[in-house]
Amino acid sequence: MLSRELMITALLLLGVSFVVFIILYLSPGDPFSVLLEGQMSTTEARSGLREVLGVPKTWHAQYLSWLTGMLQGNFGTSIRTGLPVLKEVLRVGLNTLVLTIGSMLVTLALAVPIALYSAVRGTNSISWPLTMFSYVVSALPVFWLGYIVIYFFTHKLGLFPLVFGFSSSVQKFGWLYQLLPIFVLGIGNGTISEVIRYLRDEMGRVMAEDYIRTARAKGASVWKHAFKEGFLIPVTEIIASKIPFILGGAVIVEQVFNWPGMGRMAWQAAQDRDYPVIMGIAIISAVLVRLGSLFQSVVYVAVNPRASKE
Amino acid sequence: MTTGPLLKIEDLRTYFYSRSKQAFIRSVDGVSLKIKRGETLGIVGESGSGKSITALSVMGLISAGPGVISGKIGFKSARMQKNLLQDLDEYVSLAIKDGKIMQLSKDFAGWEKNSERIMGRVRGKEIAMIFQNPKSSLNPFVPIGKQITEAIQLHTSIKNEQKAKERAIAWLDRVKIDSPRLRFENYPYGLSGGMCQRAMIAMALACEPSLLIADEPTTGLDATIQSKIVELLAELKSELGVTTMLISHDISIISRLSDSVAVMYGGTVVEYGPARAILAADFASKHPYTTALLASIPSERNIREKGYLQAIEGDVLDTINIPPGCRFYGRCNRVTAGIRENCAFKEPDLREIAPGHKVRCWLYFD
Amino acid sequence: MMKSYTQISGEIGELSKLPFWKKTDIVDLAYVGYGLFIVTLVVISYILGSFNLLPKDPQDINLDLMIAPPGTAGHLLGTDFMGRDILSRLIVGIQAYFLPGLLAVFIALFFGTVLGVLAGYRGGRFETAITYFTNLVDSFPRLVLILLVIAAFKPNIYYIMIVVGLTNVPVVSSHIKGKIQFLKQKNFVEAGVSLGLPTGTIILKHILWHNCRSLLIIQATIGMAEAILMETSLSYLGFGVQEPTPSWGNMVQAGANYFMQGKFWLSTAPALSILFTILGFHLLGDGLNNILEGKRGK
Repeated sequence: MLSRELMITALLLLGVSFVVFIILYLSPGDPFSVLLEGQMSTTEARSGLREVLGVPKTWHAQYLSWLTGMLQGNFGTSIRTGLPVLKEVLRVGLNTLVLTIGSMLVTLALAVPIALYSAVRGTNSISWPLTMFSYVVSALPVFWLGYIVIYFFTHKLGLFPLVFGFSSSVQKFGWLYQLLPIFVLGIGNGTISEVIRYLRDEMGRVMAEDYIRTARAKGASVWKHAFKEGFLIPVTEIIASKIPFILGGAVIVEQVFNWPGMGRMAWQAAQDRDYPVIMGIAIISAVLVRLGSLFQSVVYVAVNPRASKE
Repeated sequence: MTTGPLLKIEDLRTYFYSRSKQAFIRSVDGVSLKIKRGETLGIVGESGSGKSITALSVMGLISAGPGVISGKIGFKSARMQKNLLQDLDEYVSLAIKDGKIMQLSKDFAGWEKNSERIMGRVRGKEIAMIFQNPKSSLNPFVPIGKQITEAIQLHTSIKNEQKAKERAIAWLDRVKIDSPRLRFENYPYGLSGGMCQRAMIAMALACEPSLLIADEPTTGLDATIQSKIVELLAELKSELGVTTMLISHDISIISRLSDSVAVMYGGTVVEYGPARAILAADFASKHPYTTALLASIPSERNIREKGYLQAIEGDVLDTINIPPGCRFYGRCNRVTAGIRENCAFKEPDLREIAPGHKVRCWLYFD
Repeated sequence: MMKSYTQISGEIGELSKLPFWKKTDIVDLAYVGYGLFIVTLVVISYILGSFNLLPKDPQDINLDLMIAPPGTAGHLLGTDFMGRDILSRLIVGIQAYFLPGLLAVFIALFFGTVLGVLAGYRGGRFETAITYFTNLVDSFPRLVLILLVIAAFKPNIYYIMIVVGLTNVPVVSSHIKGKIQFLKQKNFVEAGVSLGLPTGTIILKHILWHNCRSLLIIQATIGMAEAILMETSLSYLGFGVQEPTPSWGNMVQAGANYFMQGKFWLSTAPALSILFTILGFHLLGDGLNNILEGKRGK
């Protein structure tokens, strides 16, 4: 089952590269050539070739050349800075990764208790307002939430200077400040009501299963028995599926907080028409999404005794 | 201390509520039963008669609302003596009109807390229950051996992992599972239905409970496997003498294993007595429903006598719209002119017609 | 907690005889009610904006009355940093996403249905292909994909909405496909075929119109909510509608500095508009889903 997953992932990533290629190829102004040139010059610089190899002419040749370049780690160079794209994207990608994972944890920290409570107790005077509230939170524009949080922390609590940025906050609460974007993205990524609903429904479904009834009848801990199918699998599944949304939200949050991540770089690149950079970010984002999906498959196979036989 | 019935259910009522019909579903509507120590009571009836709900009510496993609303369940084992529904009435208030419950309020939080306090020490340890569909009743993510050792470690004095494993394997052997040491590591999906049921039986009995409730243990299994499980249960019964409440719609397994039989229809017990009296071939002193049930068994004799399979006419009682009078009235083929008026409008009580043999039928009232 | 149950006396009837408002959950009715209210507001505002029937001219610069708080003479929601009326700008801001949003929804529903019918009816390869495309599209964060499109083409809102629509095609198609497979399973399709109905009729009339329309309506609400989110996020980031044309997104962005100075309403008015509008579409979709697709009574 896992090997099949790996193959599917590879095929999907291939598809991803093709989609990106088509978009760039069809765009007016022939950015693709610019890209390829950027890619080739690095190759030349590396291999010390003096000859101009020339940019391939047909679309499939261009695609192939670009793809092989990428597989060798050559994503071309930024039009704006001239720096190699892959290295730059990975450098800031780490920050985005921190932001993404952190915010996922925040979302879970909020969603899980509500979901489990609703699964066990059903709709009551506590779970219903919370569910309603989660709907409202899911519709919040995350950038506005960011402003509110910044305002609150800078003006009301007077903790930080108005200059935000990763390394510039050296007050004693500096580290706390770095948590703010994680917190904001965790709440404001727009998926929280769906996560709650999914986790609640899955746990509810498992609780009604025959084997949970047997566990109750034998006096065993219901949570222990329901954990794998009712919690672990649904959590990894919903989180893996929401990674694209969180990455999208990261673009905005990074802009609001001036967080030096992939999202902010993408925004900058789109403004500058820096094709190589935005292309690199698109590909890396897709890779991250697929890795998340792969991780979820791994967990599923590990937990499910039948899965490895499929 | 050891006298008196092990389990005595008195006037148990378990209702559910249909939101679409805005009415109560009276699944168990005043059931009284008792099981003597060492005896096997077979409860037989069609689907919907309330037999499984009765068992689940005893175990406190009813989760839909309103659930158990009145009654007393006296449990007297070697280790404890309790009313399993103690103080229940504190949490339920009823509004009755014309003998029917029209409105009901139940404090779920209080009731559940109270119930857990009592049942927490009973489930698995004093009373063990096995279910139908054994494959889905076992946790698919855990090897069966661990599911058994979990029970052992919870309810017996054996806490050591290795010792519990040994005991589990001994029990797997006792329920005739081959290569028990290997099977210990198997997951339910790798075992047949029959083996899963054996494993469930092992899991239940390994803790030496005072009462075993078996809810349709053979339903859902292949016919040949069914008889094997019944044989296993018969063997264990003579070896261990564990008190059993056996529930089934299958008369053949009831007759094979039971000492006493209770026949349920429409949420009430309509006949109760020693197995040989109830299941005897002649139909004197039997409730019309029991007779019809016995006549409908696809047995050689029935077919020889009648030439065709005898179904019971009519539909199963709708437990929402229960008509006045005897619940079996619409389908009964033994109503006489003399008692018709009673049958149609007054529900008969359970009346003793022979020592230990009770019937709920106007035919037996003078 | 206490729970009470009452049995109705007299004839115990069937669910179908109960009046509509007793049958459905009041919560779902409230959701749908609120959602419809929002939709109505949006449509009315769109019309008002198209015909310029606004309280004030949204482009009317009034340097004497800059950043006036809500409630100031004639300005229900105050004015922005150029003295322009915020309420009027909010109404006009709907123009930025209304038609583009409809385009996105139309694309998603149209192509989604076509593909869904193909996959459901023919199955096999089509189904595998659609699953592949679904996973492919889901691999991209939508915003990043759109930024890529923006970098490659112009930041034209219609191009963007085409992309948004296309990214929703797989979801719609898998729902339609699922519905068709369900109907197939129930021999619904077979019945139609054996009655001699032409395939077109079966698909259009029986499957889509009678069985899928609630599904499509719900997908439309989801699609619209997403389109609004995209448009506002993009114009916030500076890629959508440009000053001086108002869009809810760029209004929030413009008000950022003033927010930090304690003058909240410049950003908050459009932000809340976004919030309540998206919420309206979400709740409408959820409420309709529960009512039409039948959540079993508790």
